[in-house]
Parts: sequence; C-alpha cells; structure tokens
Amino acid sequence: MHTTSAVNGANYLTYQGKYRGLLGWILSTDHKRIGLLYLYSIATMFSIGVLLGLAMKFELLAPGKTVMDAQTYNATFTVHGVIMIFMVVIPGLPAVFGNLMLPIMIGAKDVAFPKLNLLSWYLYVFGVVLVLIALFFGQGVPDTGWTFYAPYSFKSGTNLLPAIFGAFVLGFSSILTGLNFLVTIHRLRCPGMKWTKLPLFVWTLYGTAWIQLLATPVVGITLVLVALERTFGVGVFDPALGGDPILYQHLFWIYSHPAVYIMILPAMGAISEIIPTFSQKHIFGYKAIIASTMAIAFVGYLVWGHHMFTAGMSGTAQYYFSLLTFIVAIPSAIKVFNWISTLYKGSINIQTPFYWAISFIFVFMIGGLSGLVLGSLATDIYVHDTAFVVAHFHYIVFGGTGFAFFAAMHYWFPKIFGRMYDKAWANIGWLVFTIGFLALYSPMFYLGMMGMPRRYYDYLEEFHGGNILSTFGSWIMVTGFVIILANLIRSARKGSPAEVNPWKGKTLEWTVSSPPPVLNFDKDPVLGEKDGPYNYE
Amino acid sequence: MKTIQLYTKISIIILLVMVSITASAQAVINPAASDEDVEIGIVEHLDEYLPDSISLVNEQGQQVWLADVIDKPTIINFVYYRCPGICSPLMEAVAGVMDKSDLVPGEDYQVLTISFDPRETIDLGIRKKENYLNLMNNQDKVEAAKTGWLFFVSDSANIIRLTTATGFKYKKTGNDFLHAASLTVTSPDGKITRYLNGMYFLPFEWKMAIVEASKGQSGPTLNKVLRFCYTYDPVGQSYVLNITKVSGTIIMFFALVLLLYLVVKPKRRKLSRMD
Repeated sequence: MHTTSAVNGANYLTYQGKYRGLLGWILSTDHKRIGLLYLYSIATMFSIGVLLGLAMKFELLAPGKTVMDAQTYNATFTVHGVIMIFMVVIPGLPAVFGNLMLPIMIGAKDVAFPKLNLLSWYLYVFGVVLVLIALFFGQGVPDTGWTFYAPYSFKSGTNLLPAIFGAFVLGFSSILTGLNFLVTIHRLRCPGMKWTKLPLFVWTLYGTAWIQLLATPVVGITLVLVALERTFGVGVFDPALGGDPILYQHLFWIYSHPAVYIMILPAMGAISEIIPTFSQKHIFGYKAIIASTMAIAFVGYLVWGHHMFTAGMSGTAQYYFSLLTFIVAIPSAIKVFNWISTLYKGSINIQTPFYWAISFIFVFMIGGLSGLVLGSLATDIYVHDTAFVVAHFHYIVFGGTGFAFFAAMHYWFPKIFGRMYDKAWANIGWLVFTIGFLALYSPMFYLGMMGMPRRYYDYLEEFHGGNILSTFGSWIMVTGFVIILANLIRSARKGSPAEVNPWKGKTLEWTVSSPPPVLNFDKDPVLGEKDGPYNYE
Repeated sequence: MKTIQLYTKISIIILLVMVSITASAQAVINPAASDEDVEIGIVEHLDEYLPDSISLVNEQGQQVWLADVIDKPTIINFVYYRCPGICSPLMEAVAGVMDKSDLVPGEDYQVLTISFDPRETIDLGIRKKENYLNLMNNQDKVEAAKTGWLFFVSDSANIIRLTTATGFKYKKTGNDFLHAASLTVTSPDGKITRYLNGMYFLPFEWKMAIVEASKGQSGPTLNKVLRFCYTYDPVGQSYVLNITKVSGTIIMFFALVLLLYLVVKPKRRKLSRMD
C-alpha cells in the first residue's frame, strides 16, 4: 500500500514500486502501465500484420505466381486477418487508450479491478503465443481465412486448433476488459461526474464494454464447437453428419459483426474528443452522440445476416437484415454530422491529431457509404466476395479504427510520455500514410466492381493495372508508417518536455501533470455545476 | 479481493482444460488429401493425365475415344440422367455459367457430361441436353453449345476407369447413387488442371479455370465446399437450434443481472487502491 505523499514527485513512468525493471512493468496493476504494455504488444502485432499485408500486395503485383504459391497466399491472408482483427483492432483503442485514459477521464485512481486488468493482458499475450504456435508447429499454417468458416475449419489439414484456441483466449481477454470498464464507469466516477458529464470517449467505451461482454461469449462457444467438430466429429457443422455449415456462419457473425462496433465505437469516441479540443468549441449534439453510440451498440447486434446474403437465407430474413443494416447507418451519419457541425464557427487549431481526425471522417465516410452498397440485397449479390468488400472493410477497419488510433496516439502522446513529438515529421508521416492508404485501397473498389474476387493469389490480365497501383500504394503507406513510428519512438525518449495541457482540452486528463502521477490525481477531483468535458465558453 | 482470486482460479482451471484438449487433438482428418478412406466425394488428382483408350458412346450412338474428343480445354461433368437429387441443379448451374461466360463453348472450351450409370442409354441424355439448352437465354451460346456441350454414356468398365482416374467417388444405394457435385477441368492433352466444386459457378472462376487449362497449368481448388447428394436430417437441425437458444438466454440473463446489480446497488464513494 502506498500513500499519495510517498509517491509525490514521481510519475507513473519513473515510479519505483515493489519490483524493479521489467518486473515493475509486467507485474504492475497500474492501469497506465498496463495500457502501455498493451500499446507495445499491439504495435508489435500490427507491424507483423503490416508485413504480411505487404507480402500479399507484392504477390498481387503481377498475375500468376509472383513470390508465393496459392497455399502460402491462403495462409498469409489468414494470419494477416487473425492478427489484425483479434490482436490489433478489437483490443486496439479500448485496451490501449481505454486503459491509459478512462480512469483519469472520470476522475478515478484506477480501474475497478486492477488485478483482473493485468490478467486480461496476460490472456492477450497467451492468446498471441497460441496463435504463434499454430504458425511454427504442426502440419502447416492455418489457411481458412480469419473467419474459420465451416467446413474449411474442420476439414483443413493445417494446424488450426491452436489458432482457434488462441482466438478463444483473446476473447476472454476482451470480455474481462469489458467487464472491468463497465464496473469502473458505473462505480468509480468522481463526485459531480454525472452520466451527462461523461466525456464521449468514456461513453463509447461504455457501449463497447457491453458488446464485449455480450457478444464475445458467442464466438467463444462457437470456436469450442469447431474444436469439438474437428477433434471428435460431433456433427454440429458438418453436413455429412447432419450438421449445418450455415449455422457456423450465423454464430460467427452474431459475434463478429458487433465486433466491428467494438472496433469503431471507441474510434468514434476518440474523434469526438479531438474535434472539440481542436475547434475550442462545445461538441455539437452531445446527447445525440451518446444516443447514437448506444443505438449502434444495440442495433449492431441485429445486422449480422448481411454477411450472408449469398449463403442461403430466406427472402424475408434478407429483407430484415438489409433494412436493419440501413438503419444502423443512421447513427453513424448522425455522428459525422455532429463532428462537422462542431467545426462550424470553431477556433480551429490545425495540429497533427486534427489532420488525423479530419482524414478519419473522410475515409470513414467512403467506407460507410460503400457499406450501403453491400447492405442492399441486389448490389451485394454483384460485389459479394470481390475486392470491393476488401476495400470497404479496410476503409472502415483500417481507415476508421486505424486512423482514429493514430489520431488518439498523437492527441494523448504528450500526456502519456510527458514529451512532445516533432510536429513537422508527424505531419509528413500523416500525409505520406494517407496518400499511400488511398492509393492502396481505392483501386480495389474499381477492381471489385470489374469482378476481381478476393482471396486469390492470381487474377486475370485485365486486372493488372489496378493491382499495380494498389501495390505501389502499399509501399507508400508503409513508408508513412515507418516515419510515424520512428518519430514517436524517438520523441518518447528525446522529445521536448510537454506542457500539462498542450491542446487546451477540457477533460480531466489535461488537469494532471504530463505524464500523470502514479495515483492520477494529487488531490481528489470534484466536478462543479459548471464544469463539463467540453465547456469552452 | 476474494472474488477476484476465485475468478482467477476458475480461469486457470478452464485454461488448463482447454490446453489439454488442444494437446490431445492433433490427429486431424483431411478428406481431400487421404484418398482411400473417401467413400463418397472427390479425391483430387491434379496434374495427372486421363488414361488412354476410354471409350464412350456419343449422341449419335457412335463409339468414340475420350482422348479423341478432348482437343481443347474440357470440363468433365459426371451425373446420371435419372438422378432425382443434385444432378439437375448442377446441370442448371453449368448451363447458367455457360450462358453468362464470355467464352464460347465449342471454340474456347467444351463440356462433356458423362453418365456414370452404365444402365443408361444415350436417348435420355439427348432429351436432357435439349432441356438444359432451353435454359440458356443467349441464342448464340445455345447454337455453340449444341457442338460444345456433349453428352455421353458408357459401359461399367470404362466408367470405373474414368471416375477412378478423376477421383470421383460415388456409391450405389438401391436404384440411386450417392455422389458429390463437382466438375473436373482438363487441358487439351488430357491433364487434370482443376476441380470446380459446388453447385454455383461464377463466370470468373469458369474463365480462370479454362484459361489455365489451355496453358496446361494446374491451379488450386477454388471452392472447397462439396455438396453431397444426401438426405437431409431435420432432427439434427432442431437440436442445434436449441443449443443456440439456451446459450443465448443464459448470456442475456447474466447480462441483465449484472446491469441491475450495477444500477441498483448503491455506489461506494471511497475506494482505496490496492497495490
């Protein structure tokens, strides 16, 4: 037990606890240190995922075999998907910035269950190790796609069980984080922090936590069933034994569609913090954003069937799923309108996080609107399983969550590390990255419309031009990523010391020193009647 | 704190159980690779050549050699003409994709539909051919398909040699057969270059398969979902649905309890941090 006075003067980065060195980090229950552990692990996995993506784009530089054969390509997109979805974007913003900022933003000393929080990180690492086992041991790298669709998942001769089990364990990590955040938000708000005064990032974490808690068990059970099917042939999904492979798709997407909202809601939350700060203006439609967050969290459960329009489903079911898909687009649009309205007549301060936030809105809109093409029954039949779908979800998952992650990284970086990054290089990194991103994914919309299917290592000659552009885009984007990464790593150690409130934000994390003290607040915060997260007047 | 320790213990036990399951579960069946065990389905024989001297009876009732018929990229389609199950939807899919594809049957490629029931005669095959040509909308394609989609029957010895060479495994039950829906693609010199499985073919994969066959390159099997001519088991279906309903209800129940607990139970204002 440490009292506040004992650690005065030391921040959470330099603080010396019971253990020294590395142990002081991997045994720490401080939410900020755990947040950084997540940041480093996720950044590592992201870099691996990027390399795999780069290899895939290189293969597609020319028709026929370029650098890898069909089996290797299948394995590459499977591992790329498993890493990027289960290890990067699902934990992404909640585990990193949720852990780092949530308790400070609501005026708490830590999350409700600090030890459970640490356990979540260990489960994450355990899940990652299990998936790595699948890569290096056994009869070959999994080749089913990240969705583990039946019957591939129980017929493939590759080493799938550890990968499935790894995804299962990663699910547990996600559930525990969700539970922890739920209780924290309900129980540990400081005096005066009413529900209507919660920062929007906290609200989105709240909506996300419910999805993590409710949807993740479904995929857990489903993955156990696949493991049983593979091991004992129980016949739940195998049609030869009276099972139903379509049932697998239903169960999988009942989780995995809400999982898209696990990825995107906190991203929207981070953008909802950045836009008012850099406009120096109260966010437009605070309650509308909260309502749309909860609406997305709820309606998001009911749209999973839109992944399966071509898989065999009754016409009635298709109409409902299509209608609900259109309905879930409305709250997202509400948020976009609110962000734009916040900018209107604001005192806009153009900085790196603002560039990221604006480009987030741009790519998110392209991703969202192309989603409507896929949500309508007739057009979906046309572009289903083509490169169009790949372009769409990369615009949402990478353009949405990824851009918001970089936005949040550049926004909270001075608070997290107590140092400021080189702004010029950060802007160059953003520009190169964004150009690369657009060049990489935009041609895939066109290629998909022209009929190029996804998940093939090969294509017809007529798709060559678009693929060359896309592959060049991937090189530009990776260059941007390297610039960003190098700048941040250098600045975390050698950047100029950051002020307490470099962006003039109004949320509580900008009232504590940079980096924050061990127990977050030297004096317990109390929110007065007139204080609020976006009170700039 | 005690509750957390309890949770930790439970989680560790669950993890250990799962690890032991994983460890004991490495023996994986792969029907596509191990051939002799497969009773019904497809054993892929990519890059192998079809045997010489397989004789078939064509639509004119003449005996011809398969090797003479194959002079361009060829798609071989095994059905039996009386088939009450998946043969018709399979043939409809073939007619559909021939109609849509921009390649011309008879010029760029040909389709050979061969009955694997030795008791059938070519008369029935000719009638079936008329039916399926009627399904095609593009009149040029219909004309081209008259010479580009050929129907055959044969005797049991030739059928067995050909189905064994292509890996098409079927089983007779009573008057009918259990079999899978699959097409075999061969190059002009009779080398198997690809299998197209399932009952729905995209013009793209059709074209891709034919382009590859014309170069004699073999490619991976695109669609690994084999459709089988089995009877459907409605009992299994209802059992499965109950599991999902039960687990869904349990999850929702616990979520509701948690929410009520968080909302109803009074908030503790002071919470000292354990370190």
